[in-house]
Amino acid sequence: MITPHRLSVKFYFEELSVDAEAFIPVFHRWIRENVVPNELLLDVADYKHILDGPAILLVGHEADYVIDFTDGKPGLLYVRKQDLGADLSNALDTTLSQALNGVKLTESDVELQGKLKLRTDGATIVLLDRLNYPNAASNGDSVDTAASAEAHLSDSLAALFGSDATVARVDNDAREPLTFELRAPSAPDVDTLLSQLGTGN
Amino acid sequence: MSNIGWKDVLTDDMPVDLAHEIDIFEGQMELMGQGKLDEKVFAETRLRRGVYGQRYDNGQRHDGFESRELEFEELDRIKGPDTLWHAPGMQRIKVPGGGLSPEQLDVLAQVADEYSDGILHITTRQDIQLHFVHIEDTPDMMRRLAAVGITTREACGNSVRNVTCCHLSGVCRTEVFDATPYSEAFAQFLLGHDDVQDFGRKFKPAFSGCESEACGLVMMHDIGYLAQVKEVDGKLKRGFKVFVGGGLGTVPHQAKVLSEFTSEEEMLPLVQAVARVFARLGEKRNRNRARIKFLVAKLGIDEFRRLVEEERKTLPHDDRWTAYLDSLPQYEEKPAKPPTFLNGQVRSTEFNQWFETNVYSQRQEGYSVVTVNLPLGDLTSKQTWELADVARKYVGDNVRATVEQNIVLRWVSDSDLPSLYEDLKAIGLGDPGAGTIVDITACPGTDTCKLGIASSRGLAGELRTRLTAKSASLPDAIKDLKIKISGCFNSCGQHHVSDIGFFGNSRRSGNFKMPHFQVVLGGRWRDNAGSYGLAVGAVPSKTVPEVVDIITNRYIDERAKGETFQDWIGRIGKKEARGMIQPFMQLPAFEQEPDYFSDWGDPRVFSLGDIGIGECAGEVVSLFSMEISPAESEAFEAQIALDENDPARADALAYSSMLKAARALVRTQFLDVGDSPDRIVQEFKTRFFDTELFFDQYAKGKFGQYLLDRHQNPNPNPDNDSAHRLIEEALLFIEATHACESKVGGNVLVEI
Repeated sequence: MITPHRLSVKFYFEELSVDAEAFIPVFHRWIRENVVPNELLLDVADYKHILDGPAILLVGHEADYVIDFTDGKPGLLYVRKQDLGADLSNALDTTLSQALNGVKLTESDVELQGKLKLRTDGATIVLLDRLNYPNAASNGDSVDTAASAEAHLSDSLAALFGSDATVARVDNDAREPLTFELRAPSAPDVDTLLSQLGTGN
Repeated sequence: MSNIGWKDVLTDDMPVDLAHEIDIFEGQMELMGQGKLDEKVFAETRLRRGVYGQRYDNGQRHDGFESRELEFEELDRIKGPDTLWHAPGMQRIKVPGGGLSPEQLDVLAQVADEYSDGILHITTRQDIQLHFVHIEDTPDMMRRLAAVGITTREACGNSVRNVTCCHLSGVCRTEVFDATPYSEAFAQFLLGHDDVQDFGRKFKPAFSGCESEACGLVMMHDIGYLAQVKEVDGKLKRGFKVFVGGGLGTVPHQAKVLSEFTSEEEMLPLVQAVARVFARLGEKRNRNRARIKFLVAKLGIDEFRRLVEEERKTLPHDDRWTAYLDSLPQYEEKPAKPPTFLNGQVRSTEFNQWFETNVYSQRQEGYSVVTVNLPLGDLTSKQTWELADVARKYVGDNVRATVEQNIVLRWVSDSDLPSLYEDLKAIGLGDPGAGTIVDITACPGTDTCKLGIASSRGLAGELRTRLTAKSASLPDAIKDLKIKISGCFNSCGQHHVSDIGFFGNSRRSGNFKMPHFQVVLGGRWRDNAGSYGLAVGAVPSKTVPEVVDIITNRYIDERAKGETFQDWIGRIGKKEARGMIQPFMQLPAFEQEPDYFSDWGDPRVFSLGDIGIGECAGEVVSLFSMEISPAESEAFEAQIALDENDPARADALAYSSMLKAARALVRTQFLDVGDSPDRIVQEFKTRFFDTELFFDQYAKGKFGQYLLDRHQNPNPNPDNDSAHRLIEEALLFIEATHACESKVGGNVLVEI
């Protein structure tokens, strides 16, 4: 399937209360120490004054890392913006491996002192491309595209997160991007996932 | 990738002229990529499409220890002087008068999450800005906006910027009349107008309906229109008191009265005359003195007025000057619901608190304006389409952005206020305190601006948090004070016209620099930004919250009954005011207070190393350079049309590109050539062909003849061969135009 303009995945913190501000020095250090392979990190944006939204952004050229509180659910949102690959499969692999790398960096960060854990048994995946992946329920072509994308994601993610992993389209507003929820009760840990993606240490 | 793009999908939804302009811009991007456009010309071109630079786009960033290179790909590819192609930038989106419909909010939300970081930022001039945008995404973004009637044209650069208008116009209790339709006509008339293409700097207009309120801020604008009614021959005539030469910036200027009364029929010709005088006599080389305020100051308002009046007499008549008047009687806003009254409904304490600060009772009984208080002017994509739905439910299209970085919902039927409040609260937009001391205005500052010195948004966020926490206990005397913050002396945060203003600077302590804010006290927001504040000294950024406490507490203690903050500052004087902050001006050493050496929300050790070359001033390039550039783009588009096997379109574009080039050349001598192909060709022939100025040393008149031939003998059925030939001729003609302009030296004679 076609490469989406942008693709994002959000993994959720186990903790319901997360101090977003603590990520400001962390993200600045990530830039300084160039900790993310294959990505150019640019700056940190502070939006913590916004309720239930993106709070702190580590803005990069290829991708953004966001401490995100949308819908009151804190998580690490990874938004792939550039170099997604040749098709949806490539884009998904790249996005997942880099997002999981972000999860690992967060959990092991010296300043955060292992206080924060992210869950791998669920995630939200968003195809930010209303041209090629419209979210309209009424249009026949759009429904086909969404169903195809769902099937594609299901196959890919079950192979990675376990055979009981399910992907379901989120019934959100048509103006929002096409969104899927991953449920993976027997998901392996981050290292295993990264290893399966071929990007583990 | 799909072969279908937004351009194809939206063809029928975009106004033809907007679609064509965006195609041209995309062509110019392509030419820039091929190294075929001058970097300054392209920079000004993209600025005039609202595509602005952003911090670190020179590829350098200070990480707190040292300045490091950001290793973008293709480091040699640029989009302007010292500006890397791949570095993300800011997109400014013009919103005339701040007017927005729910449909437009929907699309703004969508482009924000697909092309930026999902945050929409309202500016102090009713624009919307998106940050961290890649230039390749901008044409499609513009197309999606154009499809809902939004243009980014002339949002930046040396052009007429967004035309602002009081957000209460039409519903205000004190206005003379609704200035909205006039500001819309003004914006429409000047957008892309020939006479506003050759300014040395930007030009900011504002409209206001009444003299005493603040909303229009006409006194601090390049040109300001204040609604007036005058009796002429026994009849009441609408018009405007017109101000010119106001502005903030490093050295603020109060606008001068250009005309005590300009009738509605003369509103547009007057600004056209002003534009011509500014274009002709305004400074072009020294950008620091190129705003119209410097020209007015240099000439004196009387001489400036004389020149404008002389210019007015020479203007060729334009039907558009008065055509808009025909539609004025039909102009009206339609409330979504009938008027009702808030009577006897149970109100929560929270609602009452919000009602007190965020609700303005309209002059139309039964209706109110609700201010959606946006922290630092920001809202998310999700909040934006949720707000669009709230607007649909309660007010329809009656939504406006404000110069205090908020959004207002107008024509709220009063009995809806409690449920509207609950709906806003549910989407995180129910904060009270609009227009009060907690509703702090701040420019982007060091967050994203290339010129930012200190973190205006970081400080604003900190002050907002602290003041909100104690807002219930704040004395009434200070509740309505205005705090406005700029990241540098350029005043985008409008600090000069606030009660307590700050602008970023720095001081050295030992071997380190410390972020500071200059304290500016006693500016007047009311009376259309009636007077500017007094700079009393600079304090370390980290001490500002304490400084605010000291100043406000002293005002509470010392003020006489009914004495305003401005009057109090005037009474105690600069020396005494400075004395209040003097204790904070002693700078600690790094070892004593290391926290003082980093800014709010940014733990890096403070540095000035990230300041770049701002693009506020645009690039000073000749009118010819700006006008020949679209010709080149069209010739390029013609080649693409030929590749797509569309010879008719290729032929038309090639011919159009020659006309544009010829027009650019003619306008170096004759500004009013207009758009008629016959007129352009005739003037070209008379001035450049018959005089042999256009002739090449060897080819003689061959290249000029290409245009004359195509104009006289259009091919009714062009095929690929003929279109290909015409494209080749167009390219040669454009080259010859460049050569001629260089030879003649441009602007040798300006004929009116």
